[in-house]
Amino acid sequence: MKTEYEVKYYTHNTYEDPVKEAFFSFQITPCQDDTQRVLSVEFQHTLPAQEFHHQNPFGFDVTSLYTAQPFREFRFEMTALVEKTRPFLPTGTPLTVAEEQRALCAYDFFIDHHLYLGTGHYTHIEDGLRRRLLFREEKQPVYDYLVQLNRFIHQMLEFDPEPTHVHTTVSEVIQLGRGVCQDYTHLFIGIARLNKIPCRYASGYLNQGLNLTGTAVMHAWAEAFVPGLGWQGFDPTNNLLADLNFIKAAHGADYGDCSPLRGVLKTTGGHKTAYGVTIHPTPMVGAAQQ
Amino acid sequence: MDGAMRQAMTSGVFGNYQTPPQFLDEVFCQAGKVNPEYEALYSQFLKYSKDDYRQLNEHAKTSFFNQGITFSVYTDKAKGVERIFPFDLFPRIIQADEWAQLEKGIIQRCVALNLFIQDIYTHKHILRDKVVPADLIFSSKNYLKAMLDIKPVAGIYNHISGTDLIKHSDGKYYVLEDNIRCPSGISYVLTNRVAMKRALLETFRKFKVSTVQEYPQELLATMQSVAPQGVDAPNCVVLTPGVYNSAYFEHAYLALTMGVSLVEGRDLYVEKNFVYMKTINGPKKVDVVYRRIDDAFLDPMAFNPDSVLGVPGLMGAYREGNVSLVNAPGTGFADDKAVYTYVPDIIKYYLGEEPILNNVQTYRCEKDDDFKYVLENMQNLVVKPVDESGGYGILIGSKATKEQLAEFKQLITQNRRKYIAQPIMNLSMHATYIEGEDRFEPRHVDLRTFTLLGKDRQFVLKGGLSRVALKKGSLIVNSSQGGGSKDTWVIRDDSAV
Repeated sequence: MKTEYEVKYYTHNTYEDPVKEAFFSFQITPCQDDTQRVLSVEFQHTLPAQEFHHQNPFGFDVTSLYTAQPFREFRFEMTALVEKTRPFLPTGTPLTVAEEQRALCAYDFFIDHHLYLGTGHYTHIEDGLRRRLLFREEKQPVYDYLVQLNRFIHQMLEFDPEPTHVHTTVSEVIQLGRGVCQDYTHLFIGIARLNKIPCRYASGYLNQGLNLTGTAVMHAWAEAFVPGLGWQGFDPTNNLLADLNFIKAAHGADYGDCSPLRGVLKTTGGHKTAYGVTIHPTPMVGAAQQ
Repeated sequence: MDGAMRQAMTSGVFGNYQTPPQFLDEVFCQAGKVNPEYEALYSQFLKYSKDDYRQLNEHAKTSFFNQGITFSVYTDKAKGVERIFPFDLFPRIIQADEWAQLEKGIIQRCVALNLFIQDIYTHKHILRDKVVPADLIFSSKNYLKAMLDIKPVAGIYNHISGTDLIKHSDGKYYVLEDNIRCPSGISYVLTNRVAMKRALLETFRKFKVSTVQEYPQELLATMQSVAPQGVDAPNCVVLTPGVYNSAYFEHAYLALTMGVSLVEGRDLYVEKNFVYMKTINGPKKVDVVYRRIDDAFLDPMAFNPDSVLGVPGLMGAYREGNVSLVNAPGTGFADDKAVYTYVPDIIKYYLGEEPILNNVQTYRCEKDDDFKYVLENMQNLVVKPVDESGGYGILIGSKATKEQLAEFKQLITQNRRKYIAQPIMNLSMHATYIEGEDRFEPRHVDLRTFTLLGKDRQFVLKGGLSRVALKKGSLIVNSSQGGGSKDTWVIRDDSAV
């Protein structure tokens, strides 16, 4: 089954004092992979400059803008049409637990996935906090465990945008017991890696249904590598598996590799930022019957 | 020996020279007996009375102040105080055949390290073949994921290497460190030679000393050779963190002698994945950047977002192949002192050759056996952090107090990956003029060499920086730790031409 989405990302920034020079980098464009195809993508913005693109170390598009013309306002909008195919959601695992274990412990496997096995600023969990966490039982298949972990984290944390920020670490999140999708995802990643399961941070867009009102923001979830199945998406914030409604922009070791917007500005005063996203399924001719 | 000479030996600047019994003195083979290669030079210096020599020395010092060759020390209480790097007029001599061997060994080492860096950022064969442990590389803070799968021009990462050598009491050279994060010191080599010629031109002319002045042109040619594809007349620049950096003089000196622009991060910008320099005539495209800014500060978009020294978007332009960075970012995992222990294996792995230069025996605290040995024998070892440079954070076991030893044992236990230890090497000694004493005394020396790798070109400077530990008995030669330097004369082998 396929669905076509119109995905919009927009940001609006106003500055107290003129910005004399600016460099912005966006990592917001939906990516191409086995389950999604970008049919078109368009950028509109208010700077007297042309956007340009390069790849990041993980192969994802980075859209940048540079200007040395002073400005006090910056609007930016990305509109993409994406064709999404329903991802394969496994019901079981093709490998035995012993085979899975052998695959996870192979040295080449470690080398190939090292970026998603080590921990850093965001994902390191202090020793003293590990008792409270969920670990894989010896006889438990990896996929089963990850599904259980997804639910465990969903129940462990309460969604609350107040206490955390973009630099919050997993250890802080465990102590707070609350956070946003970024924190849920880092916690999932941190625990999966303690279990020696490669796990990465995915950022993108979640279709929450046509009935949704109000402003949405970009979403984050985790992707874990299951031997025999490959990368599988888990959304601990909603206790969901990454299905047809998840439109991915990028992945990386953690939030640091996927931050949607980075900027270096020469200005003195403060600024106001607003941003949001919209995701609309569009009717696909010929696809409706599938 | 005539009477005048006998008298000079006792009352002149070499009077009362105490040849160190337990160390190799490169000038004297025993008390009063000069090695043959120093005889001619020694007899020149014997002619100076203490007063004459003091004057000569002051003259040379003035030359450095006049040239503005100063540096500052970060731990100094009086921040920003400019000092000159003490220079010793009595040069170190290296014979042609000895040098030829060193040169071969240095090139071998630099080429192997370059292949190593390339392999790590692409296929990682050496890790898969278990020659170097993967953990050791992945846990290095200088291993950069931003470099993964980037293909620098001609596959060169370490365009500029500063290999540090010491001469041990067995008369052999050993590699002490590989410095491949834009090593400094070359400006001292060049200005030392100028000061030497100004002070002692006649003496200098009596020896067939290899020139060093071609270095800036060799560096420029190296940079040009790795210009992005399709660029015919590359615009090369030197990127400095600015006047407050301890090596700012060197950045300015190299830009000046190469005839290229010296720029700071704020002078550059990236647009459409190309790097431009702001000039009064408008933007000018930049093709090759010799960057003297640390990796973490190079591009706030890719690394430390708070960096104001770097150029936003530079790594994007680099990944797209529109600019070359000299040296490539992320080379630092390979000159890490823990990886150092594997360099002989790295040479064998990539080149199928035996290493020409020796490594110093090194204990990695990460390994249980080594860790135990280090704790038990610390008083006989030098303990170093693996990822620092400039001689900071080093403990010399034989000189340390009980408290210092205890403190270091704790530091190491807390972070075993961070420390290595080596036997206290008997760095050779060299006759060095000691101000205040007005005479020569033996002091420990090492040798920093300078190597350039470009597309189809390899160059080792015939000379180098002989760094002297001026403090009596000290083994630390770094300029930031009270070291001085000597001109290094590599004798030409004219018969080979």
